[in-house]
Amino acid sequence: MDKPNIPDEIFLGGSKQYSWRTDCRVNGWLMVAVLMSGASDFFFAQQVRQLDVAWRTVIALAPFLVLPLWMRNLAQWIRGMDELHRRITLAAVLFTVSATFFFVLLWHRLEAAGFFEAICPGRKSWDIGTVGHEVLLLTFFYILGHTIFNRRFK
Amino acid sequence: MAEVSVKNKLRELRAARDWSQADLADRLGVSRQTVNAIETEKYDPSLPLAFKTAKLFRKPIEEIFLFDQMD
Repeated sequence: MDKPNIPDEIFLGGSKQYSWRTDCRVNGWLMVAVLMSGASDFFFAQQVRQLDVAWRTVIALAPFLVLPLWMRNLAQWIRGMDELHRRITLAAVLFTVSATFFFVLLWHRLEAAGFFEAICPGRKSWDIGTVGHEVLLLTFFYILGHTIFNRRFK
Repeated sequence: MAEVSVKNKLRELRAARDWSQADLADRLGVSRQTVNAIETEKYDPSLPLAFKTAKLFRKPIEEIFLFDQMD
């Protein structure tokens, strides 16, 4: 019988069962989106700013063309889990999406209120709108959520 | 509403066949953690998994999973 997928396969450094190959298969397109966003937001930001608005829009939206491919791979991977891990992972994903949404909303409200400027003056931007920022938040909240929901069944 | 719990005899049945949790997990197509969670009654399996378990041990489902109603 085929072995079911298990969440530990993509927990970087967290388990003996971690598999770089599986991680790439599941999260490869997400890594591509992070690289695309990183290239346009950091490494080539000056060059991108000089392009006309149509090109800048295409570059800004490019990572979002790749993200559905990641979501498809993630959904397939979750479908390949057994019922307990699927339940834990879906609960963790729901927690991750909600927590990231509230965190970003809260961050923008605090930024608009001048909170960050008041506690650390001089920094130009407190923006957390890049794909890299969102991936860091998603990863953090997924690990937190998964640890919480998995603990019940250990 | 009365609280309902499901007890099971999975551990005894597995031990009688001298299978490890990993052996049983392989036979049922689930992870070892799932077998452990069912045995320790932290998780109630779905109906298809319960039927699969019953078929594997060649016993009626109600002989493995016992309905326990607490008031």
